[in-house]
Amino acid sequence: MSTAIELKEVCVDYKIRNGVFNAFTHQALTNISLSIQEGETFGILGRNGSGKSTLLQVIAGLIKPSKGTVDYGRDYSKALLTLGLGFRPDLTGADNAMLSLVLQGKSRKESRELLPLIAEFAEVGAFFNQAVKTYSAGMRARLGFATALTSNVDILIIDEVLSVGDLQFRKKAENAIANQISGTKTVIFVSQSPHQVAELCTRAAIIDSSKIIVEGRPETVAEQYLENMSSARVNQKIVKPKVS
Amino acid sequence: MGFLQAISIVDLQARASLKSESSKLALSYLWWILEPILFVSVYYIVFSFLLNRGTENYILFLMCGKIPYLWFSKSITSASNSLLQNKGLVASIQIPKTLFPYINLQEALYKQWVVFLLLIGVAVYFDEVPTWEWLWLIPIVILNYLLIVAISLWAALLVTLVQDLRFVVNMSMLFLMFMSGVFWDIRELQDEYWQHVLLYYNPLAFLIDSYRVILIDQGTLDYQHLLLITVLSTVLIVSAHFMYIYLNSLLTDKILRN
Repeated sequence: MSTAIELKEVCVDYKIRNGVFNAFTHQALTNISLSIQEGETFGILGRNGSGKSTLLQVIAGLIKPSKGTVDYGRDYSKALLTLGLGFRPDLTGADNAMLSLVLQGKSRKESRELLPLIAEFAEVGAFFNQAVKTYSAGMRARLGFATALTSNVDILIIDEVLSVGDLQFRKKAENAIANQISGTKTVIFVSQSPHQVAELCTRAAIIDSSKIIVEGRPETVAEQYLENMSSARVNQKIVKPKVS
Repeated sequence: MGFLQAISIVDLQARASLKSESSKLALSYLWWILEPILFVSVYYIVFSFLLNRGTENYILFLMCGKIPYLWFSKSITSASNSLLQNKGLVASIQIPKTLFPYINLQEALYKQWVVFLLLIGVAVYFDEVPTWEWLWLIPIVILNYLLIVAISLWAALLVTLVQDLRFVVNMSMLFLMFMSGVFWDIRELQDEYWQHVLLYYNPLAFLIDSYRVILIDQGTLDYQHLLLITVLSTVLIVSAHFMYIYLNSLLTDKILRN
């Protein structure tokens, strides 16, 4: 098995400017080293604001690290699937899907032939020819997932898309991912659900406060995550309102 | 990304946007022609009726100014926001960011060809006999497009880096409308120095004047100046493409954190 992605001591700093003289710096990722093999399904667990999304953007090659290196085994096609992003809301679902496919290097003819497949998998029905802004959050997520899956990219990066949508679609999407495992497609996916990670992934990691704290077998990582969450809950102080 | 794939994407997305835009309007694609006609009518009413400034063939004169100006200003204004507008795509896949201004420009270009046909129709209607010189419209329109591309690429880049510049772009368009002889004739300026300055240093004024030279048959084309603007626009376009590559990470950062 060959290495698909290799991150070495990656740091990402953000500088957010508030006005002319004020700037606020935040380190979103600190010394992340990670190696993901071709064909792996890698899960990333972490709370909101832990740096997960930034990590995925680095892996997708969208942002360059401030420090450290990112290397790919070869020139892979990559797609990052994020809730509510990746679409032009004024265009129809079909036009958006078509555009995504062509952007991923498919010809127009190929893309046109794939459209019915996407419409069917996404279960959007007659809405396929309506503007995406009229879609519910679940429909958007389904369309995004169906398009990304059909465009057959080498590295598919999924950011919490599977947490929306109903149970039935989630099962279908999980099956689709599970079927990819045998192939050469590499899937990296972020979730808040340790069960999902344990079930689907071949390896997993927890990211907390911009650092990777655990990495290893998905069952162990999922267990550790649950433990961390419950201990965090115990440590929370409950402040009772004063009654006068 | 190959050149052909890039063209295919620009064409595909421009068509999809046009389709979506027109589907929202009751008069749909008719607006491509209605809008310039309404603009020209407003100017005609103000200058010809109220101010009594209209010359012979004033409608054709106005159209030669307003149509290229509208194309120029709308293209640049829309392209300058194009990078920030495509946050969704920038956040999900690696694509050259120069595509975004080109997509918006292509949208405007598709609308424009009908309008140019209308312009020629009106010119013929006003008894301007088509001559071989009218073929010069082709290089003039191409040069007009090159100029639009050159300014749009730089405007989109700068607006993405410093969003405050959006106001500067809008103001410049208004300023250019007054300084390019859209509704008045630069050749009628008493001061020859200013006449020269405007026609020589303002490429839009020069282009608008060239449309009039060809369609209303006033004066002669300055071929040397045409060549100069072509070279300048090409240099600006090529250098902009290098800047987009050089500043790619910074642009991504600005767009994602918008």
